[in-house]
Amino acid sequence: MRTRSLIAGIAASFALAGHAAAADVICYNCPPEWADWGTMLKSIKADLGLEVPHDNKNSGQTLSTLIADKANPVADIAYYGVTFGIKAREAGVVAPYTPKHFGEIPTGLKAPDGSWFTIHYGTIGFFVNVDALRGVPVPKSWQDLLKPEYRGLVGYLDPTSAAVGYAGATAANLALGGSLDNWRPGIDYYKALKKNRPIVPLQTSYARVLSGEIPIMFDYDFNAMRAKFKDKCNCVFVIPQEGTIVLPYVMSLVKNGPHPENAKKVLDYLLSDKGQAIWANAFLRPIRPAAMTPDIAAKFLPAAEYKRALVIDYAKMEAAQNTFRDLYQKEVR
Amino acid sequence: MGRTRQFYLQLGFTLLVCAFLIVPVFMSIVAGLTENFFIGLKSGFTLRWIGVVWELYAPTIFRSMYIALATLAVTLVLGVPTAYVLAKRPGFLTRMIEEFLVLPVAIPGLAIALALILSYGGFRDFRTSWLFILVGHVLYTLPFMVRSVLAVLSSFDFRSLEESAASLGAGFWRRFFGIVVPNTRSGIIAGALTVVTLSIGEFNLTWMLHTPETMTLPVGLADSYASMRLEIGSAYTLVFFVMIIPLLIALQRYGTQRIKKAGHA
Amino acid sequence: MRARENRNLLLMVAPAIAVGAAFFLLPLARLAVVGATGPLGPQAYLAVVTNPQYLEALISTIILSVVVTAATLLIAGIAGVFLERNRFLGREALLSLLTLPLAFPGVVVGFMVIMLAGRTGLIAELTSLLGAGRLVFAYSMAGLFTGYLYFSIPRVILTIMAAAEKLDPALEEAAKSLGAGPWRVVRDVILPALAPALIASGAICFATSMGAFGTAFTLATDIKVLPIVIYTEFTLLANIAMAAVLSIVLGVITWVTLAASRAVAGATAAAAG
Repeated sequence: MRTRSLIAGIAASFALAGHAAAADVICYNCPPEWADWGTMLKSIKADLGLEVPHDNKNSGQTLSTLIADKANPVADIAYYGVTFGIKAREAGVVAPYTPKHFGEIPTGLKAPDGSWFTIHYGTIGFFVNVDALRGVPVPKSWQDLLKPEYRGLVGYLDPTSAAVGYAGATAANLALGGSLDNWRPGIDYYKALKKNRPIVPLQTSYARVLSGEIPIMFDYDFNAMRAKFKDKCNCVFVIPQEGTIVLPYVMSLVKNGPHPENAKKVLDYLLSDKGQAIWANAFLRPIRPAAMTPDIAAKFLPAAEYKRALVIDYAKMEAAQNTFRDLYQKEVR
Repeated sequence: MGRTRQFYLQLGFTLLVCAFLIVPVFMSIVAGLTENFFIGLKSGFTLRWIGVVWELYAPTIFRSMYIALATLAVTLVLGVPTAYVLAKRPGFLTRMIEEFLVLPVAIPGLAIALALILSYGGFRDFRTSWLFILVGHVLYTLPFMVRSVLAVLSSFDFRSLEESAASLGAGFWRRFFGIVVPNTRSGIIAGALTVVTLSIGEFNLTWMLHTPETMTLPVGLADSYASMRLEIGSAYTLVFFVMIIPLLIALQRYGTQRIKKAGHA
Repeated sequence: MRARENRNLLLMVAPAIAVGAAFFLLPLARLAVVGATGPLGPQAYLAVVTNPQYLEALISTIILSVVVTAATLLIAGIAGVFLERNRFLGREALLSLLTLPLAFPGVVVGFMVIMLAGRTGLIAELTSLLGAGRLVFAYSMAGLFTGYLYFSIPRVILTIMAAAEKLDPALEEAAKSLGAGPWRVVRDVILPALAPALIASGAICFATSMGAFGTAFTLATDIKVLPIVIYTEFTLLANIAMAAVLSIVLGVITWVTLAASRAVAGATAAAAG
């Protein structure tokens, strides 16, 4: 009878559910296509035998979820921009851990107790799909984007929530004469940019640049280079003339996570020679420079361009985030 | 009777509406099967994007299927008896229950998910299991099952049938399973199709409730639109269509069958 | 006998009530309390009107939902009545296609809108071929409106068709024979007869639009609708109390609309019957 076969079918799918692969380590913000976590997670599976599912939160969502989960953490490790790592430490959701090679990380790029530590960093600039520009010249400076020919062509991630969004805002502000205490140039810039009808997604929009939907995006060099060399698009990365910043991305061990021992193994692997080489291969600057091979280094823009990319006081950048967010929400409409 | 100008105008209008709804679906299907969307069809047909989708998201597809089936099972057990009680004793209390049944549709999925996380998020094993998502799906789809069965119960005189069965000696449960359930089969099936369809496509609740281990198909879709190439997102959408369209066709056919039957009643 | 029957009925409905209470009513009550015990205290509930950002989001969402409902009722009304009344080759197929998007999640709808109205979308290609530049409206209010229309039309059209089936053609014949033009027939005969169905499905359309999240999430428009603000407050700013407050307000507005529509539609049905 129909009911019997229905019940049998449902029972079978429950059985199927029981056999689904369980994860060994839960990562918040390990998206397969960002920073080539896809290859990294596969490599971890092959070398350490640990299953780490991918996850597509952004830095802000990662922090909020860690805070929401605080009483009963779901994640073991978290990946986010440096300012969010600092916040996470303040919120008490991460645990100190000093992995192997911790000593090789420069002082400003790690918490002394190991609550967060840089694994790689990128530079902010314009990720441009040249074909999608349909003849409009590739922009060279922040000011260029205010010109009418770029109307509707520019996108940037929400500066109040995504790490790359805030990094872009910080870069523009500093480049245009502001400082971490004075956001006026940056806010004025975004207000002017609004007139050019930018697209402001909440989450990664790598796909949209590739498809030509957003021809110019404030993004990192590694995303642009991945598009150019791996996905073979006619894309370029531009470091704006007025200057920009470098942003480190950090890892943390989550406090009271479900699988702490395995999590530590994964964190060690990310700083190991093999791990750092995977980052380099994905066009991220590994924190241990030895991992960068000459032929990959050759694919980056020349060093002269990178001189304009500054390392800044990230603790101060983090402290200023709320001020910036309030100003942005109030004035940029 | 010849076709008037009014007929053709209205037909044209309806075809335009149809085009608005269907053309992007068609475009997306094509994009999922094309080598390179930007170049277009000239780049050639390929199944490799579907292969990539399978590699990355196969678990989400299975998960959506068994969550939908589990949701169906729970809504059958909870919903069919509830509809029967509502039909049997129309009164103040049942009116209240009907009001509450509307709530999961009225209150945005986001809010329901938030409420669930705040109340039950602390139980880690529950929070990280697919049961957490199941709860959300049941809350959202139960009203549809109840309403569907209730509609059928309201359309025929089931009390007389029950009375005749009672006069022949059938007890309460025998009457329910032997008379009421078989006669409401069309409502149960329509409700079942609705529940499964809604569960497979549910996003608002599931987006908030999911963890990396409990991603469903729509959550994976949102994922892929943001961070994968357009072709992968389109291929994934194609997989979703393949799953959902047979269900929708069955639902629509069943729905019109009932309308036709009710018309003759 | 009746007492035993009542006991059995109670037994039947008890699991549903238990599940509803445990997983729905209690959490919602908790949500309301969380909203009132944040840094702003119970005053947080006033923040919806006092904070310009939230107020703007609320008003935008309501206006959008109202406009979408009106447009949907108009479009689905015309198409629905037409499909119900006429039989022609391909009618079944047309109907299937029109109700296809019924189960699409909001994200897919957003994706569809980008396929139509995005930078690399169909409309942009067409206008560029015609030499008028690329018309892109996916990321503005128009795009959001298009998306909401996309998921509303399939829902409403089925209800309209079911109601149109019950229309009595004799009334329209009578009106026409008395000299009423087609517009007056529509206004004075068809619309009043369809009114309960229009009100009921309009209310559901409004409720769905108010709570819609996936579409706005994908389209990432400037205009922040309330569900997006709630999402941002909770997941990006960890501002749980405010997210709770806004959710409750949104839920109350939607529920009141549905309840009011049931009262009005019920009254209309009673008056007509």
